[in-house]
Amino acid sequence: MSILMLGERGQMLMVNPQTARLFGYECDELIGKPVELLVPALHFDSHVRDKAGMFAAQECDDRTPLHELSARRNNGTEFQVEIGLNAFHFGDENVTLAFMIDRTERHELERIRRDLAHLTRISTVGQLASSLAHELNQPLTAILSNVQAAQRFLVADRIDLAEVREILNDIVQDDFRASEVIRRLRAVVKKGDLEVVSLDLAGIVRDVVMLVRSDAIVRGTSVALDIEDDVPPVHGDKVQLQQVMLNLLLNAFDAMKDVPAVDRVVSVKLMRESRSMVCIAITDHGHGLPADKLDKIFKPFFTSKPQGLGLGLSISRTIVGMHHGRLWAENNIDRGATFFVALPVGDATDQDESRQRP
Amino acid sequence: MTDSASLVFVVDDDDSVCRALARLIRSAGYRVETFGSARAFLDRMPVDACPACLVLDIQLPEVSGLELARELDTALPIIFITGHGDIAMGVGAMKAGATDFLSKPVSDTDLLGAIAQALERAVQARTIRRELDALRARVERLTPREREVMALVVTGLLNKQVASELGTVEQTIKAHRKRVMAKMEATSLAQLIRIADKIGLSGVAQSRAQR
Repeated sequence: MSILMLGERGQMLMVNPQTARLFGYECDELIGKPVELLVPALHFDSHVRDKAGMFAAQECDDRTPLHELSARRNNGTEFQVEIGLNAFHFGDENVTLAFMIDRTERHELERIRRDLAHLTRISTVGQLASSLAHELNQPLTAILSNVQAAQRFLVADRIDLAEVREILNDIVQDDFRASEVIRRLRAVVKKGDLEVVSLDLAGIVRDVVMLVRSDAIVRGTSVALDIEDDVPPVHGDKVQLQQVMLNLLLNAFDAMKDVPAVDRVVSVKLMRESRSMVCIAITDHGHGLPADKLDKIFKPFFTSKPQGLGLGLSISRTIVGMHHGRLWAENNIDRGATFFVALPVGDATDQDESRQRP
Repeated sequence: MTDSASLVFVVDDDDSVCRALARLIRSAGYRVETFGSARAFLDRMPVDACPACLVLDIQLPEVSGLELARELDTALPIIFITGHGDIAMGVGAMKAGATDFLSKPVSDTDLLGAIAQALERAVQARTIRRELDALRARVERLTPREREVMALVVTGLLNKQVASELGTVEQTIKAHRKRVMAKMEATSLAQLIRIADKIGLSGVAQSRAQR
């Protein structure tokens, strides 16, 4: 960490060797120079004194005690630093102690994590592609048959207008249905800013169950939904929580591909767990998990599937963690495993600073 | 217009697809009944009142289209429709007794053509079934002894051989044989053999066992 002591006008009184190294100077070169040399946006104004030592350009915000600013090295290259400022008296002088951390690495990490999560989402959707095609094919089938039926009705001697009207209504409905499939798909593959809003988990659960509906049929699996009434909303990002649900549901399907068709049921339960937590439980009737794997499965690149990336669960856990919740697995008493997602009820989550959606 | 007595069943779990297919089929002059599941259709069976065929979605929840086809065991011609058909599925469908295998969305000419063919098949099957029923009814009129005689006569044995086989005299067999010919409404041995061929010798024997 680089530490600097700044005088009233922002001149550097003392810098530690890390600072010099980070910016590519010698310590001596920096003493007496204005701090703007290193961080151009850090303006000191000797006439205005506020708590952190006059930070005119940047508003101080309780939620973001650290300022993120761009800094400039000796060779002119720019990079991001996180700066914390503390003002105090040193003898007669008002001085400011500044702490700086190089954010470049963290930025890079976050960007990679974001891309990775987006990629897993895309690959998850890829697994769903054939069933989504089916989901779109249904309304297309209905529309084509309706139109051709109407064409045939219209050449009849007596045109049944009531029938034709009904046909047109159905076509409109099927068109909406098709665009709804596309909307849901788009919502999942979207890459963009994290939007933390108040969310109705029941809606999210239902949406994702709809998304995997035909995948379930193809795999001979059924999904039993049990949604408690009046589950309070949670704060979170819809797309991310959908991704978690999607991942857990598809895993549950995979877990049961070797069991007899009658047993292939995934039950999805949404309930209020306590005053401050709500819980989603996804139960399969597969072979369960070896006791020593119950936590390992959440490690990156752990996979039991030949075509799996081994990132789904680890990213799901990161997402749930970012929502201040918990994701874990337990074996059922009879057979199979249950994955639990516990999330804090709406107000319990701090409104996070706007992060980028992974 | 096509034979208005013909009935087309449609089984598809998608309500909207069901309705649309029903309209299209109705536009060709057929009567249509739709079902949302294989089970609902099985509850409606049997369907012997008129020539009928079944338009069946392969991907159905619970009981799949293929399972339903196996259960029906060629009771009526089946046209399979599927959203994502592959060769394996097509082979499975044909093995399960499909007369046609169409992919969704299905054009009116393909579907109505397949239905016309399936119904023609249904009519033929009904004719054959009716004829068989009539022949079996005739067999029912035979006494156990006459059945034995018939079973042996149609294998080409002479009266004398039949008599020794059954431990009686030729004269008695001659009388039995005359009554068999009358009851079976056969004017020649060749005709009797053709009848036995249609219902199968086991048909003759089975009726005997039931007595």
